[in-house]
Parts: sequence; structure tokens; C-alpha cells
Amino acid sequence: MNALARAPDTLGTATTHAVAFRGRGGEYFRIWIVNVALTVVTLGVYSAWAKVRTQRYFYGNTFVAGHSFEYHARAWRILVGRAIALVLFTGYSLSVVVYPWSFSVWVLVLAAAFPWLVNSSIRFNARNTSWRNVRFNFSGRYFEAFIAYVVWSAAALAMFPLIPYTRRVHDYFYINHHSFGGRAFRTEFPASRIYVIYLVGFMVVVGVLVAGLGAAAGLADLATRMPGLARSVQVPIGPGDFSAIFISLIGLGFAFVAAFVTTMVTNLSLSSTTFAGGHRLVSRAAPIRVAWIVLSNTVLTLLTLGLFYPFARIRLARYRMGKCALIARGDLDDFTSEALTQQSAIGQEIAGFFDFSFGL
Amino acid sequence: MPEGRYFFPNAARFVPAHASAASGRRLRVEDDIGTLLAEVPARAVRVSARLARLTRRFDLPDGGIFECDDNDAADALLRALGKRRRGGFTDRLERAWPVVALSLFVTLTTGAFFVVQVIPAVAEWLAKETLPAVAHTMSEQTLRALDFGALKPTRLKPADRARATKLFATVAAHARGGSGAYRLVFRAGGELGPNAFALPDGTIVMTDDLWPLIRNDQEIEGVFAHEMSHVDHAHGLQRVYEASLFPAALAIFTGDVSQISQMGAILPGIIAQSAYSRRFEQQADDDAAATLRRMGGKPSHMADLLERLDKRMCAGKTCPPSWIGDHPNTIERAARLRAEDRGALIDLCSGDWRARLALNCLGLTR
Repeated sequence: MNALARAPDTLGTATTHAVAFRGRGGEYFRIWIVNVALTVVTLGVYSAWAKVRTQRYFYGNTFVAGHSFEYHARAWRILVGRAIALVLFTGYSLSVVVYPWSFSVWVLVLAAAFPWLVNSSIRFNARNTSWRNVRFNFSGRYFEAFIAYVVWSAAALAMFPLIPYTRRVHDYFYINHHSFGGRAFRTEFPASRIYVIYLVGFMVVVGVLVAGLGAAAGLADLATRMPGLARSVQVPIGPGDFSAIFISLIGLGFAFVAAFVTTMVTNLSLSSTTFAGGHRLVSRAAPIRVAWIVLSNTVLTLLTLGLFYPFARIRLARYRMGKCALIARGDLDDFTSEALTQQSAIGQEIAGFFDFSFGL
Repeated sequence: MPEGRYFFPNAARFVPAHASAASGRRLRVEDDIGTLLAEVPARAVRVSARLARLTRRFDLPDGGIFECDDNDAADALLRALGKRRRGGFTDRLERAWPVVALSLFVTLTTGAFFVVQVIPAVAEWLAKETLPAVAHTMSEQTLRALDFGALKPTRLKPADRARATKLFATVAAHARGGSGAYRLVFRAGGELGPNAFALPDGTIVMTDDLWPLIRNDQEIEGVFAHEMSHVDHAHGLQRVYEASLFPAALAIFTGDVSQISQMGAILPGIIAQSAYSRRFEQQADDDAAATLRRMGGKPSHMADLLERLDKRMCAGKTCPPSWIGDHPNTIERAARLRAEDRGALIDLCSGDWRARLALNCLGLTR
């Protein structure tokens, strides 16, 4: 990890470029609050511009080898995508309420459209991202996405032990179809390593459950023994609250484990990634740290009625990005952009409405 | 003259460069020793909008880029080039503290307005518009799920059940929905203890443990009337809709769906829902009191039962007031119901602040 801090560090012909995130909480807070207010005032229309500004802020503050990423999407494309997604989503919601049987029809439609949603939303993002005047691209095809996201996902739902393997299928699909300046990214790692991660995650779940039960029992015991105490210190907690507290604790526990596992998997798949022959990616975020940041962010955001949210995002991005690096073999000047056509944002925005996001 | 970097068309290769406004509104990019790298009409150049300290980018028509870290110098150059759309407006808003303060105010007030007014109103409307068939399916599925877990078949004697059903029918005749709108179902409650609850289609479940606690017919009539009010106002459906609208509203405010779903799912839903359901319980209590009075009974009997339940659940002591719990504090509820005996709400504002808030009784006098 020290090697990352001392960048660029020359080891033979390889140079380590640490990723640096230079966003600031106070600065992003102002952008965010103006975004929210304008979105409210324009009844949601501004949300497309808000998204572009947010994305630009995060991309533009992420630096590799002294150059930042850039986000190029046009707001009106996103607006059109959102409008179409809203119409479809309203149609879906209404028809499900009026004709409950139509739900199964929608499930089939969604399963058929899903590979397209996956591809077009990842591609939209990739093609609108550049570094040093060179664009990224994504080349996933319908059939490949169908196998990865419909067939494998269904298999994982049916057989839980397949979940880690399916995760690897998804990460392979995501990374191995990305390219930068026409040169492909490639990740490869043994399935056994991802199974070990999920095993560790499973053991943490058991630990969290035991700790959560213990905490709830302890609180309940304390309150039944000393109701007077609870009253005199104005702790507004009654016995009826314990189920709510317990559910919240369990929810937080699972969020913790999810962050933990996701970080380890991301570390694994990114650190196994090579591209354009010699260059390598590294991600060394400490899973406990990320889980702690996610958890404390959630709690602080709730306690501040959401006002901590922009600071939370910056805090997480700074840590996660700061633990990534590019190990370049040779110089980075030779890349040139491919000729790419512009993408519509429809697929991405539909996916957004159904709360799907694809990536690592 | 802004200093920056010039990227060759569609390439990662760059040289240090500076840009200037040449005559005829043309953008001129030169390297350190004055070699011309590009010269294009200003109107063919696309400039990225100013945003915080981000590098400003001038997209040249051939795929080359001039970029510069000094935003003020870039703006000056754009003015010199006579470009009208310089993309600086939103940035000025974001940097002006009065605008930020106003945005904060707008966001907080609309946020509060959503939580307090819009979400309950929309949920109420949706609940009213929900087709009976849908409500019925939902109720059946809920009861089936409960039968699978928490509930067991009733062990109440047939005579007791017959008496409860008879009382239930009497109350139903006086309730808003009338006879036929409700259906009484018996179950052994297990961990639910003495309890009664309503499902959206009019099914009201009474657990066996509740029956032995009844000392007076009017007590159980009060419980039935309370649950019937939940059915009348579709409180169950409203709760479901509120729970799903809350994360949606959060997503609108934070501007992104995926990040918020994990947090939206956990805490605020529970807290907000409980605050909403507290309102429902109060409405149901008030309706129950009205129904009982219509039947010539006294709402205070229901208060007796509530206090007895409370004693039983809290082992002889008064339960501490509940903040995020489902039902309002028993003391508050009992006091409110006793007040209903006299046909009007009296001044209960001497209680603690939570009771005052819950009762909305500020300013109410005898």
C-alpha cells in the first residue's frame, strides 16, 4: 500500500500511477443542493442536467497519471431516456395494479429486454467516458448478456451455491468487453478465490446475526429492568420499539456484509485485470474500512436528514479511488480513439427506473 | 492567455500549449515556442460548462482538444472570442452562498412537505383506488403467510366464538361499512399474544389470548370497532403504499436511485411508517369511540382494556412511552378514549411533549 502512496514509482519499465480523487465535500455539497433545488423547482426536468453535473464532478476529480477522466453525456439525451422510462414505468405500475396477471407478462418482457438494457446502459456510460482525449467502449452483445444476466442469474437464484460463480460471470462480462482506445481489458482469476470471499462473507453474516441478537436482547433486558431510567434520561424507547430497532440492526448488518464482500470481489477482479498487453490495474481497498465508511455514512446521512449525503459520497470515493492504481508498462501516449457513434440513453434510464445498475 | 495542454486529434498524445483569440473570432492554439497547433473559428469550438475546479475543455472540430486548468482565464478567452454560451451560469449559482442557502431552504421545505403531506395524500388516494379484488388477493396472501408462521388454528370454545361473532355483527351494523363489509376470523396468536388486526379486504383476525382478558362486552366491541375503522380507511394499504413511496421520494431528492436504495430500505421507512401508523391508530380510536357511542356504549371501556393489556405486556409496570413503536402510548390513548365518554376532547396538554404532539391538542381547551 505504501507503494501506491509513492507514485509514480518506477520498477524496471513498469510505472505505478496511483489514482487520486480530488473532490471536496463542501464543494460537492453546493453542487448537490443546487441540483436538488433546481430539480424540485423544475418538477424533475433538471434531473438530467443534475446527473451530468454530478457525473462530471466525480469523473473530473478522479486523476490517473496526472490526468482526470471526463464524462461527456449530453443532458437532453438523458432527459429523453428518462421520459421514455417514466412512461414505461407508469404503464407497468398501472397495469400491475389494475390487472395483477399482467405482472407475469412484464416479467417475460423484462427478461427478453434485459440483455439489451444491460448492454446499452454499460455502453452509454463507457462511450461517454474519456481519459486523455481517448474514449472507452463496451462491446457486449445481446446473446452474451442473455447468458450472463438471464441464464446465470436464474441459475444462481435457483441454486445459491452458484452465486459466487455467477458474480464472476458478471464481472468477466463487464470487464472483458470494455476497451480503451480500441484495446481490450481482460480479467481472469480462479473461481476458488471468489468462493473464499463469499465464505468469509457468510461467516461475517453469522457473526453479525449473533452480535445483533445479543445487542437486541441486551437492550430489551436493560429497558425492562430499568424503565425508570429510560424515562428519566428521556430515551424515547418502549418495548414496542425493539422489533424496529432489531430490524434496523439486521438491515445495517447486511449492508455491512454486502459492502465487505463487494469490496473484496472488486479488489479481486480489478487487480486481475490487464489491458492493452502490459498495463495492469490494482485495487487494494480494505473491506472493513469500506464497510465502516458505508455504514457510518448511512447513519450520518439519516441523522442529518440527508444533508450529509454529498459528504458521504465524496468520502467513499476518496477512499476507494485512492486505493486503486494503474501499473503502466511503457508510456501511455500511444492510445488513439476509435470512431464511435453516439448512444441513446434510453436503455440506461429504463434500467435506472427499475433500480438496476451494472458494474463492479 | 490561458496555459494548458493540446491533445492531438483523437489521441492521448499531448504537448503543453496556450490559446489565444486571433482576429475574426478564431481560436488559436500554439505550443511553447509559438508553433501553430490549431486555428479554428470560435463557433466551431464546443466548450465544457464550468464546474468547480474541473479542467475546462475546448473540443476542436477535428477531434483535438485544448484543455486548461485555469477557469477564469478560460472564461476571459471565451469573452474575447465573443462566444455567447460560455457554460458558466450554473457554476455561478453553485458558488453564490445566497443561492446555496435558498436551495437548502427549498429542499428542506419541499422535503418536509413531501413527507408530511404528499406521501400520505398519494398513499390515501392509491389505497382508495385499489380494486377490491387486489385488496382481497393481498389479504389472502398475508393471512396465508401468517398462518404459515406466527398463527395457529384457534382453540377457542365454539360457544365463545359464537358470542364474539354475534357481538362483531352488532358492531358491524353500526360501523361505516355496514354488515357484510367485515369478516371475523379466529386464530391462536402464539408470539403475537393478545391481539387483533385488520386486513385490507375486511378480514379481522382476533387471537385467542385476547378473549380471556375481556371483562365487559363493550371492551371487545371497542376492539372490533377500532379494527373496522382500519378497514374503512384502508390503513393497511396506505401503509404499504407509504412504505414504497418513501424510498422513491428519497431517490428523487438525492438524484440517484441506486445509491439510496440500500439506505432507503432500512431505517427511514421504519421511522416514518411508525409516525404515519400512529396517526392511523388515533383515527381508528376516534372512530371506535364514535361507533361505541352510536351503540349507546362508553369508549372508556376500551381504555380499561388497553390498560389491562399494557399491564400484562409490561409485567405490572407502566410501559415507557414509545417513540418509534407502532401504537401510541397506552396512557395517551386511554386518556383520549376516556375524554370521548364526555363527547369531546378535553385539554390534555399537561402531559409530556410527545403526548402533546401526538394528540395535536395544542390550543384545545375544555
